Parts: sequence; C-alpha cells; structure tokens
Amino acid sequence: MTQLVVSGLHKAFGDHPVLTGVDLEVPAGSLTAILGPSGSGKTTLLRVLAGFERADAGTVTIGGAVVDGPGVHLPPERRRIGYVPQEGSLFPHLTVAANIGFGLPARQRRGPATSRLLDAVGLAGLGQRYPHQLSGGQQQRVALARALAIEPKIVLLDEPFASLDAHLRASVRADVQALLAKTGITGVLVTHDQDEALSTADRVAVLRDGRIAQCDAPQDLYDRPADADIARFIGDANLLEGVLDAGTVDTILGRLPVEPGCLASPGSSRANGRVTVLIRPEQVELRPGGGADELTGHVVSYGYHGHDAVVHVRPEHDGGAPVIVVRTVGGGQLPPGAAVTLRARGPVLAWPHT
Amino acid sequence: MTTSQTLRRPGPSSPGQAPAARPAVRARRTRLPVALTAAGFAVAAVLMLPLVFLLIEARGAGAAAVTDLIFRRLTADLLWNTVRLTVVVTALCAVIGTAAAWCVERTNLPGRRVWAVLVVVPLAIPDFVVSFGWASLWTWVQGFRGAVVVMTLAVYPLVYLPVAASLRAADPGQEEVARSLGVGRVRTFVRVTLAQARGAILGGCLLVALVLLAEYGAFEILGYQTFTTEIFTEFSVSFSVPAACALSLVLVALSLLVLAGEGMLRGGGRVSRSGPLAPRQMPPQRLGRATLPVLAGFGLLTALALGVPVGASIYWMAERSSHAILGVSLASAALHTAGYAASAGALATLAALPIALLAIRYTGRVRYFLERSTYLVLAMPGVVIAFALAYFSERYGSGLLYQSAPLLVICYSIMFFPLALVGVKASLARAPVSLDEMARSLGQRRLAVLWRVTLRLAGPGLVAAFCLVFLSVVTELTATLLLIPTGVQTLATQFWAYEQNLAYGQAAPFALVMIAVAALPSYVLGRFFDRSAHPDG
Repeated sequence: MTQLVVSGLHKAFGDHPVLTGVDLEVPAGSLTAILGPSGSGKTTLLRVLAGFERADAGTVTIGGAVVDGPGVHLPPERRRIGYVPQEGSLFPHLTVAANIGFGLPARQRRGPATSRLLDAVGLAGLGQRYPHQLSGGQQQRVALARALAIEPKIVLLDEPFASLDAHLRASVRADVQALLAKTGITGVLVTHDQDEALSTADRVAVLRDGRIAQCDAPQDLYDRPADADIARFIGDANLLEGVLDAGTVDTILGRLPVEPGCLASPGSSRANGRVTVLIRPEQVELRPGGGADELTGHVVSYGYHGHDAVVHVRPEHDGGAPVIVVRTVGGGQLPPGAAVTLRARGPVLAWPHT
Repeated sequence: MTTSQTLRRPGPSSPGQAPAARPAVRARRTRLPVALTAAGFAVAAVLMLPLVFLLIEARGAGAAAVTDLIFRRLTADLLWNTVRLTVVVTALCAVIGTAAAWCVERTNLPGRRVWAVLVVVPLAIPDFVVSFGWASLWTWVQGFRGAVVVMTLAVYPLVYLPVAASLRAADPGQEEVARSLGVGRVRTFVRVTLAQARGAILGGCLLVALVLLAEYGAFEILGYQTFTTEIFTEFSVSFSVPAACALSLVLVALSLLVLAGEGMLRGGGRVSRSGPLAPRQMPPQRLGRATLPVLAGFGLLTALALGVPVGASIYWMAERSSHAILGVSLASAALHTAGYAASAGALATLAALPIALLAIRYTGRVRYFLERSTYLVLAMPGVVIAFALAYFSERYGSGLLYQSAPLLVICYSIMFFPLALVGVKASLARAPVSLDEMARSLGQRRLAVLWRVTLRLAGPGLVAAFCLVFLSVVTELTATLLLIPTGVQTLATQFWAYEQNLAYGQAAPFALVMIAVAALPSYVLGRFFDRSAHPDG
C-alpha cells in the first residue's frame, strides 16, 4: 500500500500556466477523486504523476521516494504506476489477453495471471478477441485489467467512465471501486462529474486555478465547503445575504443558527456583519399556500425526478431576492405560479463578504 | 468572494457524453528533438536542390538571355497547347471521375464491386503505353484531339479515387437534414453532396493538372508539343541548356499557379462529421430504367481505358516475328528496373520518416514550414528535376555522378518523395503517441516500445509507402531517359526505344510486363489506403 504526496507542483505549457502549486496527499490504499471543470489541468496533473510530463517545480513522492523533483525525474517505465486513460488506448494489433499481459515479463504473459485478471473484470472467455470487437465498457475494463496486471503501486484513472452510457457507468464504477478495494491499490481518479466523485471516492480534491481548493471526504466537502464558489460547484446551493449576530444569522428565510467554527478571517471583527449564507435545497421546507409571518413566494418551475422534486421559487421580498431552489420529497405537483411558504432548517454555513 | 476561475458545474451528464474534445495538441511537443529536426532539414535541402540548380543556371545564362528565351513565339504556342489541354482534360476527368464515383458508391448499379476495380486499374498503365496503344491502332489519334482522348482515359482515376472515398465516408445526416429543410433531391445533390466532395474533386483535378504538366512520353508519341517535350528536346537533342532552363522556369511557375489555385478554391470550410464516427450508410439510389445505359457507359469506359492499351499490346505481340534476344533484354531490363525501383523506394521512405514524424508528433512553426517546403517538389515535373540534376552534375560536379545509377535513384527519390510522405504519414497515424506512452507506463523501455508497438503498427504503412514509390519508378520514363547510365535499359526505356523505331511487336511485351507489375500491387495498395482512412469499412 503506497502513499502519494504532491507538494508545490507547478507546470506550464509555454506561457500558459496550468498547475500553480498543487498540494495533495493521497493516503495509502484509498481512492481519491480529483474534481474540476474541463481545462482545469486534471489530465496534466495525472500525466505528471505518471511521468509523461516533467514538473516545472515542486515534488512528487510515491511511497516515500521522490520520483519528480529538483534534479530527479524517474521515467514512466520505472515508476510502476498503472495508467488508464479516457480512451482506453488498447493496442489494436494485440488480442485482449495480449493487451492485459503486455507489461508482464515474457514468461508470464501466457500464464494464469492474465486469465485471473480477465475473470476479475468480468470478461472471462474474451481473451482472444481484438479490441475493436469489444464494446466501450468492455474496452475500459480491459484497460483497467492491463494496468492492474503489472501490480502497480498506484493506479491513475483519467475520466474512465465518461464514454460509457449512464446505465453501464454505475456498474463499471462499482466494479472498479470493488476491485481497487480488494487489491488495496491506491487510486487517483480524475473527473468532471461531481456525482461520480462524491459517490465513488474516499476523498475528493477540488482543482481550481491550478491548485487544490479543498480536499476532504465527500460528506465534509458537501456539508462544509471552504467557500461559496465550491459550495456552488458541489451540489445545488442557495447563497443568500445575511446579517450575522452572535452565532445566528438573519436571512430572508428567518434566523438560523450558524455552523460553529466555520467563519474564516479571524483577524477582523467579523463576529457581526454582513455575510453570505449557504442553505442547501434539502434544508428548505416548502408548504403550499401563504403563511402569516413567514416568507412566501410563488413557484417558477417544478422539476420532477421521481425520487424527489426540485422546485424553483421566487420569494416575495421587498429588497429583491434570488430564486430559491428547494428539494422536496413527496407532496403533490405544484404548478407554476402557485403560492408557497418557505422555511429553512438547521445550522448553515456563512462566509464573510470579501 | 472573487475567483479568477469560477467553478462552473457542467450540466447533468447525458448518456455517452464525452467531455469537451481533448485537444490532440496535448500529445504533441513544441520543442523539437535536435537529431530529427536536423535530418528533416537535410531532406528538405536535398529536395530543394533541383530548384536551386535551376535558378543558378538561369542566373549563369544571364537574366536578359533567359527573358528573351521566355518571351518568344514558341513559348506562347507551348503555353496555349499546355493550358488548353490541361483545362479540357481536367474538366473531362472531373465529370467522368465524379459521375463514375457517384454511380459506384451511391446507386444500386449491378456489379458495383467489379466496376470499382475495373475503373481504377487504368491508373496502373503508364500514360505512354496508353498513348502507344491508341496511336498504333488508329492514325487519327494525334495532336490535340489524340492528346485529349488519351490523357482523359489515362488519368480520370485520379479524380475517381478521392471522390469515391469522399462519397463513401460522407455523412448521410447532412443530406437528410437538407431534405427535411425542403431542399429537393437534385438541389440537395448539388448543394450538399457535391459541396462535401468538393475538396476531393479539387484534389483530384490538381493531381490531373500536375500529371499533364509533367507528361512527356505520351505527348511525344502523339506529336503534341508541350513544355515538357520541348524541354526534353532542347536539353538532350539540341544541348541548348539556357533554352531548356527558361522553359523549365515557366513550367515550374505554371505548376505553382495550379497548386496555389487549388488551395484557394478549396476554401476554408472543413468537411467533417459531427457525431459518432461509425458511418451509417446511405440507402443506394435506385437507377431503374437508367441501369442499362449506365452499365453500357461503364462498359465503354473500361473498354476504352483498359481494353485498348492492353488489347493493342497483345495484338502487336502476336503480330511480331519471334526474337530470341527479346527474352534476354526483357529479363535484364526488368532486373535493372527492379533494382532502381527498390533503391528509390527505400531511400524515399527513409527520407520521408523524419519529416513525417515531425509533422505528426510535433507542432510549431518550424516543423510547419519544413513540411510545407517539401510540397514544392510537386511543382517540379520529373523532366525539370532530371534536367537540373543532370546538368549540374555534369557542369559542376565534374561529371562525377552524371548518368550514374546513384544520381538516377536520387532523382527518383526526389520526384516521388511526396508519395512516400503521404504513405509514411498514413502509417504513423496508426501508431499514435498515446500508445507509446501507454507501453512505457507498463514498464517497457524505449527500444522495446519501438519494436513491440510503433513498428508493429506503422510497419504495414511503411511497406505501402515503399510500394507506392516502387510502382511509380517502374512506370517512369522521362527522367530515366535523361539520367540512365549508358548501356543500361529499364522496362520503360527499352519499350521507348522499340516504340520510337516503330518496332511495335518488340515493344509490346515490355508494355505488358509493366502493366502486370503495376496493376496487382496497385489494387492491394488501394485497398490498404482505403482501409486505413476508413477503418470501420
């Protein structure tokens, strides 16, 4: 079980900086997801870890040994890192079995290791097929088996489920998770799909501006995002104006307790003052009809998803207020324009205005 | 809170949606490896030599003398001959090639697959053999009339091939959308189908024009005077080098004009498919009552383009009195031809490797200009290259290489370098960098990667590039006549010698051997390039 540590990683292409000081710690045996929008440098980070690119500054340490740093660069063929790219990159001129056994010494290529791996990824009996005869999902699994065959210290997965259809994605994802857990290999998964990141990984690192903005367990990332931007990125978010007053915050949805210890910038006297408040859609309660001294509004749109419904409500407030997103379970359909009452629950997060 | 790159959450992932297209540039480097770049420059320099020699010679003869030679009555006549022939033949080839391609690819013509082969085989027959076939049988085949007939039948496949490929790969979705927008069938054909095939048609026409500008043997047989026949005569018969030089400059300028014209006409639009790459085939157009006339048309085309040259050769071979010496000279000529062709094939393929590697795996201005400069060779007809090399080696190289095998092989390699480059690039496209990187991540050292992955994938394409050059050398006449070592004959030159002496019976076997050698591999190569362009097909 190997630990991966990245420290102060910088990488630029020409004049264009992509990674500007990435710090990341991947605990041994865990699966960490790196989440970020397209073009944020996720694949670059992965390629530096694999050794295809050389960092401009900073260090990469695998299992305690520095593989990339000042004066040090271990070539990819010596790192024993499994790399599963987005397109799979199977060798078209080799059979599935030959692909899987590619990294093994010549003696072992035809041995039991290959067939064991074929079974492990659920492709028993397809060893003699060629890549173009397989479906997309099957190709991805062969790519994974091929990476695992060399018994790597770390497996890097670059958006491995992106090209699969939704139905297949869930099952392949579960298979990958199970396989990595069973073998205990440390994994780094790169994705732009936050559902995937939150549901698959033990830890999620958000890549923004070439740096890791936050790295936490999925639950912590969702409940306690470091700033409003990350809050908006992970899940739906209602960001409202509020006035802080000794542990509670006053918003249009009422006076709500503040999550203890969440306020940043201890220096200034931000104990009281204007803040941005995060209220998740599931924290808002919705009741049809108008209420006396509670916030009322009317429905803008009602999105039914089967397991729940997402309602957009425009509140009636003198000072003007943004559309509030509410997640409800059960209840009847609400037509646009219907009058509703809103109320919020539970501790909320708040950040001072900058 | 302000952030310079706000995190935007992408929309809900739809099934099978790939993220924003990953730029292929990511796999390329901008820093070029020194050795490879040096090799590339060396190759480009050699390719420029004939043009440089030409310019040096022009300067040596004096600008005034050269200008006089250019601006005289003869040049105007040659220009008129060359241009009107090029225009007429190109137009005819465009029509025939496109019509044939459409009938084969888009209709339910009976025996489509057979016609597809028969329509292309005439390309393997050397133009001077086609000319010989026609001129030897009928006396009216001469001059402008004869040239139009012969050249159209000889080179129309150059338009057919790319147009057929384009029609085969075209996205039926575009035509369906046009029809759904209310555009009628005929107008859809013109506005969508032809527009999509425009690049292919123009590319084919470009090849036709360049071939016409470079053709010598066929015109000599027909007594049709063009720049190439005149350059040949001035250099090897009259030994008037300044005149040959002046005419060469005009010819190169014409070729450059044609190249530039094609580039401009092609325009900036891209013919590309959006959406999944698996080609969904269009339902074929039913010909109905037009089936018989179309079949008759194809039959006629095959008979004229294929039947006449082959038939004439067989006819003359049957007519001749037996010559025992013939067998020996055939074998010796074949051996020499094979030797030159193999050497040139190897040299050209090797020379194309650095340029192709730079073109495909790297990016940047240097490599762009390096690659573009090699296309200048297309503007130099074989006769000009041979003349420049011959004259220069004789005058400045103290006759060292003049009329020697190495110089001939170098000349071939220069002439057919663009062909080799196309083949090598196609072969490297099958061995992308991503697979090399994958192999390295699986623990293979660089040499093992080269052997187990790169060469395995690129190998067949490299062999194909070699074959392309090989076949072109086998059927090459003009440059060979100028540069061949004395006492040596290739299949083409021996054929020419007999033909010029009207010894048709002795010339015929050589023609047939050349056709046989060129035809079968051409078919195989055609299938290879077709499959590599459309791997799903």
